[in-house]
Amino acid sequence: MKCFYLDTSTSYLYAGIVSNNELLYEIKDKLDNNLSTFSLSLIEKMFDELNLSPNDIDTIVVVNGPGSFTGVRIGITIAKTWAWALNIPIIPVSSLYAMAVSCDKNIFKVPIIDARRNYYYAAIYDKNNNAVLSDCYIQRDKLFNYLEQLNQDYQIISSVFLENAAMQYNPDILKIVEYTKNWNTINPHAVNPNYLKLTEAEEKFSGN
Amino acid sequence: MNDIYILGIESSCDETSVSIVKNGYDEIATVILSQIDIHKNFGGVVPEIASRNHVQNITIVIEECLTKAHMTMKEIDAIAVTYGPGLIGSLLVGLEAAKTLSFVYKKPLVPVHHILGHIYANNLVKPLKFPLISLVISGGHTELVFMQDHLKFQKLGATLDDAVGECYDKVARVMNIPYPGGPIVDQYAHEGKPNYKLPIPLDDGSFNFSFSGLKSAVINLVHNEQQRGNEINKKNLAASFQNVVIETLTHKTMQALEKYHVKNLIVAGGVAANKGIREKFTLLCEKSGIDLSFPEMKYCTDNAAMIAAVGYYLFRAGKTSNLELNSKSTSDLK
Repeated sequence: MKCFYLDTSTSYLYAGIVSNNELLYEIKDKLDNNLSTFSLSLIEKMFDELNLSPNDIDTIVVVNGPGSFTGVRIGITIAKTWAWALNIPIIPVSSLYAMAVSCDKNIFKVPIIDARRNYYYAAIYDKNNNAVLSDCYIQRDKLFNYLEQLNQDYQIISSVFLENAAMQYNPDILKIVEYTKNWNTINPHAVNPNYLKLTEAEEKFSGN
Repeated sequence: MNDIYILGIESSCDETSVSIVKNGYDEIATVILSQIDIHKNFGGVVPEIASRNHVQNITIVIEECLTKAHMTMKEIDAIAVTYGPGLIGSLLVGLEAAKTLSFVYKKPLVPVHHILGHIYANNLVKPLKFPLISLVISGGHTELVFMQDHLKFQKLGATLDDAVGECYDKVARVMNIPYPGGPIVDQYAHEGKPNYKLPIPLDDGSFNFSFSGLKSAVINLVHNEQQRGNEINKKNLAASFQNVVIETLTHKTMQALEKYHVKNLIVAGGVAANKGIREKFTLLCEKSGIDLSFPEMKYCTDNAAMIAAVGYYLFRAGKTSNLELNSKSTSDLK
C-alpha cells in the first residue's frame, strides 16, 4: 500500500510517500508564490528518485484547508485529478489537525494559520488530538480569551512566524498518514477545499 | 499520418471547459460549464467565486467530456491548456489539472495563449486562410492580431484600459440592465436612435483601443440626466453607445487590413456575437472584397475546443512544456 501525502495550504510544499508504515521520501520546501510553478515538478522528481510511477499510488491524503485559498486549490486540484485518473480514494485532512498531530507535546495544541486582519484559522486540540475547539476562523483576541478560560498548558504551532510562543510547524507525514488511514475516503469529484470563510462578495451579498 | 487527438482545458474566466479535437479542426466532444448564473447575483464575475467553482467542477467536466467522446485518456496524444491571460486563480485550476493529467498519463503538455484560442475557434468551422487579421473582442480582451501563417502572429494593438465587453457590462449596469448586459444593449441599440452625443475614443492612428473614456461619458451622462430629473431613453443611449463602439472597432480593423494588404478577417471572442458589430463588418467587408468569418456562436464565448484546436498546431510544432509551466494573468502574444 502506497500513500501519497500532499499539503499546499500555506507557503510550503509538504509532500511525501508512505509505504507500509515507512516514509520513503518527503519534500518540505518553502515555495511562497511559486507553489503552482514548482509543486508538480518537485513531486515528479520525488517519484523519479524513488523509481516509482504515479500509478503505484493506492491512496492520497490531501490537506483540504483552511489556509491560503489559492494554495489549498492547488493541492486539491492535483489530488482530485490524480485520484480520479487512477480511480483511487482520497482522504482529506484539515491543515490544523495535521499540525496538531505532528506536535509531540503532551499538552493542548493550538495550530494557527494567518487569516489576515487580526484573524486566524485556528483550532484547539487536547493531548490526544481530540478537538476542544473545532477548526474555525477566529479573531486573535477571542482565541486567546478562550485559551485563558480553558486554563490548560498549551503549545501554539504555526508554519510561518505569527506569535512569539509558537513552535515552527514541521509535519510528521508518517504520523498524519497513520492517524488518518482509517478515515472515510471520498470520491475524488466530491473532494473540495474547506475554506472556513465565504468570499468577500458573498459576505456582502448575504449581509444585505 | 495518424490522427492526433488533443484534450483541451480552459478555465481562464468563469467557464470550466474541456474538449477533445482531432487534427486541429474536428471537434469530437466539448463540455462547457458556465458559472454565469452564480455571478449574476454580484453584477459581474467575482474572481474568488470563479476559482472556487472551477475546483469543484474540473474533474467532473473532464470525465463528462471523455464520456461524451467515448474515449479514454489513453487515446489522447497531448493535453493543451490555457496558461493565460485571464483570472489567475481560475487559470491555476485548469493548469494544475492539466499538469497532473500530463504527469499521471505521461502525455505531453501544451501551453496555449487564450487569444490565439479565440482566433483558432474559426478553424473548427473552416480552415484558416493566411495571411489574416483577427479582431478578438470579449469581456477581457480587445486585440488586433496579424497572422502570416499558422502560429506566426504579431499583435498590432490592444485596449489600453477596459476591454470592449467590460465596457458593455458597465454601460448596461448604469442603465439598470442585469448582468451580462451586452446582449440587451445590442438589442436596445437596434430599436433606438443614436441621438446622444458621445466622445470618439482614441483616434491616434495606432491600432490601440481605449474604452474607459466612452464608458465614463455614458455614466456621467446618465448621472447628469438623473440629477436634472430627466428620464434617460435607454434605447437611444444604447444606440448612441453602440454606434461609437462599432465605428471605432471597424475603423481600426479596416485600416489594419489595408495597411497589411490582408484579405482575410476573423472577428472572434464573446462580443463577436453582437449583431450590430456583425452587420457593420459584413457590410464593410463586402464592399472591400474582404473574406470575413465569425466563429459559430457556440465558439465565440470561452470554450476548450478552440484551445484544443490551436493545441494541435503547437503540439506538431513541438511547443510543449515541462511541469514547471505557470499561469499568467497578463501575457502578450509572443
